[in-house]
Amino acid sequence: MTLSTMLSAMGEGMLRSCAIFFLTILFSMPLGMVIMFLRRSRLKLVSGITKIYIAIMRGTPLMLQLLMWYFGPYYLFGMSIRGYRFPAIIIGFSMNYAAYFAEIYRGGMETIPQGQYEAAEVLGYSKTQTFFKIILPQVIKAILPSVTNEIITLVKDTSLAFTLAYNEMFSLAKQIAASQTSFTPFIIAGVFYFIANYAVAFAMERIEKALDYYK
Amino acid sequence: MILEMNGIKKSFGDLEVLKDISFNVDSGEVVSVIGPSGSGKSTLLRCATFLETVDAGQITYMGRSAVTTTSEGRAHYVPHAELNQIKRYFGLVFQQFNLFPHYSVLKNITDAPIHVQKRPKDEVRAEAMELLRKMNLENRADAYPCQLSGGQQQRVAIARALALKPEILFFDEPTSALDPELTGEVLKVIRQLAEEKMTMVVVTHEMPFARAVSNRVIFMDKGVIVEQGDPEEVFGNPKQERTVQFLRNYQR
Amino acid sequence: MKKKIALIMAMMMIPASLMGCGQSAAPTTAAEPAATETTAADAAVEDTAADSGAQYVFLDEDLGVESYAIGFRVGDEELAETVSGAVQALVLNGTYDEIGEKYPDIKDYLCLTADDIDASTLPEEGSGDPNFTFKHGFDLDYPPYSYRQDDASVGGFDVELCQAVCDYLGWGYEPVPFNWDAKDMELNAGSCDCIWSGFTKEGREDDYTWGITYSNNTQGILVPADSDIKTLADLSGKIVGVQTATSAYDMLEDSQKELADTFAELRVYETYTIAYNDLKAGAIDAIAIDMTAGSFLIADDNA
Repeated sequence: MTLSTMLSAMGEGMLRSCAIFFLTILFSMPLGMVIMFLRRSRLKLVSGITKIYIAIMRGTPLMLQLLMWYFGPYYLFGMSIRGYRFPAIIIGFSMNYAAYFAEIYRGGMETIPQGQYEAAEVLGYSKTQTFFKIILPQVIKAILPSVTNEIITLVKDTSLAFTLAYNEMFSLAKQIAASQTSFTPFIIAGVFYFIANYAVAFAMERIEKALDYYK
Repeated sequence: MILEMNGIKKSFGDLEVLKDISFNVDSGEVVSVIGPSGSGKSTLLRCATFLETVDAGQITYMGRSAVTTTSEGRAHYVPHAELNQIKRYFGLVFQQFNLFPHYSVLKNITDAPIHVQKRPKDEVRAEAMELLRKMNLENRADAYPCQLSGGQQQRVAIARALALKPEILFFDEPTSALDPELTGEVLKVIRQLAEEKMTMVVVTHEMPFARAVSNRVIFMDKGVIVEQGDPEEVFGNPKQERTVQFLRNYQR
Repeated sequence: MKKKIALIMAMMMIPASLMGCGQSAAPTTAAEPAATETTAADAAVEDTAADSGAQYVFLDEDLGVESYAIGFRVGDEELAETVSGAVQALVLNGTYDEIGEKYPDIKDYLCLTADDIDASTLPEEGSGDPNFTFKHGFDLDYPPYSYRQDDASVGGFDVELCQAVCDYLGWGYEPVPFNWDAKDMELNAGSCDCIWSGFTKEGREDDYTWGITYSNNTQGILVPADSDIKTLADLSGKIVGVQTATSAYDMLEDSQKELADTFAELRVYETYTIAYNDLKAGAIDAIAIDMTAGSFLIADDNA
């Protein structure tokens, strides 16, 4: 196998990794917000169930969760799972990362002084306005470093999609390494992941800088 | 009468913070509330601005009832929509300023008038600039709160409250979080507002200021109003032993 | 600070990747443009290899023989019979051997011959339901049975044979690469119709409905040619590597348990690729592996 064949095959794998990455970000970040609100709910039952959900998502291996999301519908309900491989991966990743994001958001919410809510209330802002105009922008600034961490972890975690044999970059690296009895694919994969994470870190740094105008 | 509070009771758990307090403010009055910490004076202000809910009593702004007491003696708040209307009658300046750190000075002042009161942008901006000029901050319109001194931040907070054109402005220890050399600039602004006949209630530890600026002084201790009246009377010739003691401690 | 660290890491990775290419990819593809120095170095390595013959060899003693067959869901007798029949038909028409010719590591282990087959019971060519698509479940990490070819396409002996079966019967063919650890879930959930990927029958007789055994394989011990290990007994006190969830591993845990107990350590790897690199680096003394996969693994270094 020539290096260019290897690179183009792995490049294709990288596109699949990117698809997992972007779709997971797209779904898990807003979902994390919902979970955070449920977690902060004053209803004991709601916050309790959410707490258990977060504990499960954070306390069990993502690999196991992916298997559960994919095979669960068949084993629990006898449903056909044809063509469900990719959706299962996205669901698995999103549900898992949403739990982590929810906890990050919750931590961010707790950094906002009570006075901000009170000032907004006295000025007549509605609850929705208060959240979106006053609280959320400050939460975003507060949580950016943790979010960057989480996103970088996600870049690397996309390789876990191999569990469901979705041919993302790491699966391809493994397959090519096996067929070529060579270590090179792993090194290429390493370089790809590194570049991707460098790009993420760079982008997040830019966002952090853009929000640096206030303390 | 701008504000009428009658028979206000408020407890935190077993601790009775306000014990049947009645308190009225007339248009153009400047009322100073003094007293030792824990006397309930800040709680009174927070109850008046609905940041705390009272357990019993009546609160009425401009003749519109916000809180009534049921026959069982429990406080009943009017529906949300009506309460929101009533909220427009007052403004509150916090001890910790509570400016929005991610908004510029100008946006801090204009955002609520534009997005809450839905007033035209240009008009609001022009008024905000006027307020900043009054606060001697017209060149800091584009600065962010973190770039301002405490005294400047507090003046922005006052401008922010005034931009909503309240009938009455509450101050909750407006200079307590400031370095001593910065209190003067904030007090000067309040004094200026007093001269313009702005109705104000100021919870403060600044005795000389309270004496010089207010029309009425209220001395609170342990959840009750111990003494109130003309500042010269209360400061110069206090009738109650507790007032005498409090003022004596203060002078030392 | 962050940037500096990033730069250092990047600088460390680039030569590492170049070295990687030089060591492994270059010898297999002579046409590949490589830096002149690297080519020279490789040539030197190949020379020494040629002088001493093979670099890695199998011990004469083996761990045991096993048969590779096609696993179907328990109860899928009819499907198993049809596919097995088609495989036999392919033996008769020569396709089976034709495919075998392409995979020299497998050729010697193919066990079906035309003499043993009763042609009268086999399915007719094109007799299958043309609307049926046969979903072939396999592991893409298992050369030469199922793996990524040099052009990065999916292939291998099992893949080609299964495709030929589908062509013969007139079925559609759908490759379903799966993660080997999840093979049973994939099969039971119906995302594939069979496990056909160098799949050992021994020890799993009751877990599947088995189709025809089309290949034999021998589990052996791979050692460096200059190793002092010559017999299974010499493995005592040595470190032996094996890939998880393989027959070699199963044997060492079961029928060859006594032998495995004499090892200093039985080190279990995710893939043989890593184990082989450890063997090259001297981190382990031997690898337990089936002969076909093992031959494939050492082919480049013994060339």
